[in-house]
Amino acid sequence: MPSVLDLKRRIRSVKNTRQITKAMKMVSAARLRRAQARALAARPYAQMITSVLESLVRRIEIIDPETNNIRHPLFLSRPEKRVLLVVIAGDRGFAGAFNGNILKAAFNYIHDRGEKEIDIETVGRKSTDAFRRRYPAAIYNEKKVDNPADGEMTVKERDRKAPIEMVGDHLGILEKLEAHSAFEIAEEIIRRYVHEEIDACYIVYNEFKSVIQQRVVTERLLPLIEIGKHDITQSIELTREEREEAARAAASAGIELQEPDTHEADEEAKKFGTAEVDYIYDESPEELFNGLLPQYVSAMLYHAMAESVAAEHAARMTAMDAATNNASDMIDAYTLKMNRVRQAAITKEIIEIVSGAAAV
Amino acid sequence: MADSTNQLRVRLVTPERVIVDLKADAVELPAKTGYMEVLYGHAPLLAELGAGDVTLHGATGGENAGNSDRYNVSWGFVEVLPDRVTILANDAQAPAQIDTARAKEQLEHGHKLWSDAGDDADKYTEAERVIREAEAKLASAGDAKTH
Repeated sequence: MPSVLDLKRRIRSVKNTRQITKAMKMVSAARLRRAQARALAARPYAQMITSVLESLVRRIEIIDPETNNIRHPLFLSRPEKRVLLVVIAGDRGFAGAFNGNILKAAFNYIHDRGEKEIDIETVGRKSTDAFRRRYPAAIYNEKKVDNPADGEMTVKERDRKAPIEMVGDHLGILEKLEAHSAFEIAEEIIRRYVHEEIDACYIVYNEFKSVIQQRVVTERLLPLIEIGKHDITQSIELTREEREEAARAAASAGIELQEPDTHEADEEAKKFGTAEVDYIYDESPEELFNGLLPQYVSAMLYHAMAESVAAEHAARMTAMDAATNNASDMIDAYTLKMNRVRQAAITKEIIEIVSGAAAV
Repeated sequence: MADSTNQLRVRLVTPERVIVDLKADAVELPAKTGYMEVLYGHAPLLAELGAGDVTLHGATGGENAGNSDRYNVSWGFVEVLPDRVTILANDAQAPAQIDTARAKEQLEHGHKLWSDAGDDADKYTEAERVIREAEAKLASAGDAKTH
């Protein structure tokens, strides 16, 4: 039987923990609010670039009628022999099942692919650590190649050893998310696609509409089959309990549950480049596609990252809310026990006194 | 003369947020092939932007009114309709926000790319992009100080 003093210490320690989890919850709620605002602010651009591309694709045939060439290599789909998988997870833990769910979705995907060659690129520390442990990093050999113009030059050549390899990681960009970091990643992906190093690109991330409306999705980024459509191959929704828990946490932290109404702004943005008039095009269709498509891909990627960041904070907020509640329950239980123990000690003392007096 | 009935609605949008949403009499744009100025009633046009300054003339209304009416943009697209100009830029900054030290670094980096490019045409294009962006930023920041 623990003594009153032991229990008192226990309660104090749990109280400290509760204070910490509560603080973490409030911090996450504040960060979530900021992340939501950022994801929202990024919408007009994504919407505009999507609609201008949609209308361009409608007006200009993707395949040039004169030369029979496709206007841009990103529209070209090939049999998927080698696939690039971009896994976007968080940089830090303490976020409930957030990172675990994303990794699970990614492993599911890899498992379903069977024998195909998969390159993995990770965003965020948690996914990087998980994949580094399992799969070897890609090795590049420098090779001298004879160049007719200036003798010799070195070319990096991929030396594939295993069917699944890590080709890159991006750490610390989620904390202060900027559009140009998404753009750099997108540029590299496009370069690899155009050079036929990969035949398709998929991203795994946590989609976030609101605290109670989110899911982990696997989405095809390349090739572009249809502009403006999220090409989702697999998704894991929140369970009902998870949603209720998240709703409770959001309510206690003062976060709106509803998705903000952006209908009007969206409609406005959709008009970009789609007016029913004949535009003067300053450049050739090839050049326009050349400029627009990388922007489109990077906007999709930025959107995925922005939503993932919001989802991570939401998950942490929910987890910390649950932890705070658990700590409160524990404190209640220990307080009850402490009072009982104290009562028992008092009763015992009284019995001792009474029986001692009776013996005299 | 321009009045409130024939003003252009100008929006400047970057991947991160909407920077400008207001009305103006005229807009100067750094198209890829050179600067152009757009007035009310311009023919519909879709063009790619280079690196340079977007200048709004006679801007009124909107929450950003009174702020800088000149923005340094690098790469993007513009849609011109008779009553509306929408600029999609990769990056847009007011001249005062430009980090000249960083732009200078970028310029040096660009020159280095240029001299290392060898025979690769793509690398020259890339180097030229970097140099032009840096030069446009420096020019824009420099103007801000002399004004």
